[in-house]
Amino acid sequence: MEKIISIKDVTYTYPESKQPAINNLSLDIYRNEWVSIVGRNGSGKSTLAKLIDGLIESESGTIFVDGQEVNEENIWNIRSKIGIVFQNPDHQFVGATVEDDVAFGLENQGVPRDEMVKEVDDALKMVDMQDYKTRDPQSLSGGQKQRVAIAGVLATKPSIIIMDESTSMLDPNGRKTVLDLVKQLRDQQDMTIISITHDIEETELSERIVVLRSGEVVKEADPKAIYDMGSELTKYGLEEPFSSQVASLLKDGIKLPEGYLNEEELIENIWKLSSKM
Amino acid sequence: MNKLILGRYLPGDSIIYRLDPRGKFLITFYFIGIVFLANNVASYGFLLLFVLFSVYISKINLGFFIKGLRPMLWLILFTVLLQLFFTPSNDPIWHWGILTLSTDGMRIAAYIFIRFVLIIFISTLLTLTTTPIEISDSIESILKPLKVIKFPVTQVALMLSIALRFVPLLIDETTKIMDAQRARGVDFGEGGVMQRIKSFVPILIPLFVSSFSIAYDLAIAMESRGYKDGEGRSKYRVLSWARRDNVALGVMILITIILLFIRSY
Repeated sequence: MEKIISIKDVTYTYPESKQPAINNLSLDIYRNEWVSIVGRNGSGKSTLAKLIDGLIESESGTIFVDGQEVNEENIWNIRSKIGIVFQNPDHQFVGATVEDDVAFGLENQGVPRDEMVKEVDDALKMVDMQDYKTRDPQSLSGGQKQRVAIAGVLATKPSIIIMDESTSMLDPNGRKTVLDLVKQLRDQQDMTIISITHDIEETELSERIVVLRSGEVVKEADPKAIYDMGSELTKYGLEEPFSSQVASLLKDGIKLPEGYLNEEELIENIWKLSSKM
Repeated sequence: MNKLILGRYLPGDSIIYRLDPRGKFLITFYFIGIVFLANNVASYGFLLLFVLFSVYISKINLGFFIKGLRPMLWLILFTVLLQLFFTPSNDPIWHWGILTLSTDGMRIAAYIFIRFVLIIFISTLLTLTTTPIEISDSIESILKPLKVIKFPVTQVALMLSIALRFVPLLIDETTKIMDAQRARGVDFGEGGVMQRIKSFVPILIPLFVSSFSIAYDLAIAMESRGYKDGEGRSKYRVLSWARRDNVALGVMILITIILLFIRSY
């Protein structure tokens, strides 16, 4: 597999703090992969995203994005390859209307207007927000605003999308629409997705989970292996998935297969029980 | 906040809405200028007719314009009364100390009043029919010549549009902070003027802090979307000058000529 992001021995300390936010971290991310980065508050998740996009500069180590090193010279090139959807939908809405906001990234790249009009329409269609084109942000729900933010990112055709806790401020409905959208986009297009999140259930969609603690990678595995840790997850400040909590409570009385089961698999195993007895 | 009609956009559709915002902007300021050329009953009457006609073709209820007068009411009353009682005259109707009431004074007071009405109505018409973003676009395009002297026109325009975009967000933020303080027992409606002003200090400080954090988030988001320094950008929204805008300018020239004629009549 081809590496799209390669982080090597990177350290970063915020000016006002003593402890490094990212401590000698190395991580490779492959093309078309969906990686979740999890960890408790202050574990360095968002800092890592900012380092990859060159929004902050690392003290030591190197970061390569799509074969180019993140430095002063390549920064605009690299930023055009990466789209970030941030946490607060209100704090990243630049335009006065939906279409203006989607066009912002294209305007920055100096795309001619005729092309822009088409790209904006296409991007809005992808996120199913074309009917809201001329609306102002106040009239949209949180989930809709995040979909507009995703459209704004898609319009510039990035190869990497970073979701920096993009669903954490949304209600369950909004979260579901946003995640479904990302999943669908990834299935349709060649895209690498890095999702930074607190919510372990959200990571079920990804192929690999990277657990950060104090700026270091402490665990790196596929979701099943991570969920299999059960109550050990709390050590990393994560909550145990509901299905595995239920399973561990049931284990005394009934026989369940070993390993992590998601909610559906768990139900599948339980509902047959009474007929067997 | 909702009572302030001056400076608010009212969604709608009519010929006035469809005019190019640059034209509307310039015409409004031009009209405010020529209001001061009026010097007799006929000329004031003529301008008033023109404004009422514009209001009529805008298809906006006249009530909105009258409400627009309200925030200015005290200023208008004060100025009118000043003219009414302090205009010096040789044959006063009534005289007491420094106060004089005369037909001259009454006439000038009436003119001043109409002048206020004209200016407020025409600027209310501009803001009711033009979105804030259109206004900021037209300011950008009108200031464009200043680029020659290195004035950062595009950056200023973007600042203006972002400021406009964040007004509702900051109002929300203020409400949130006020609710949080109310929950802890602050009463904003209580006490004298000084007391009330004082109770706003604990709102302003958190508001200040949170606007800085919003600004930081926004700056990061803008940078991640490739915003450099405002140069080399293309523009998504374009203004298009149509024939009706030429007609509107023509009407203004006609109005000026008629006004000059009535004035010297």
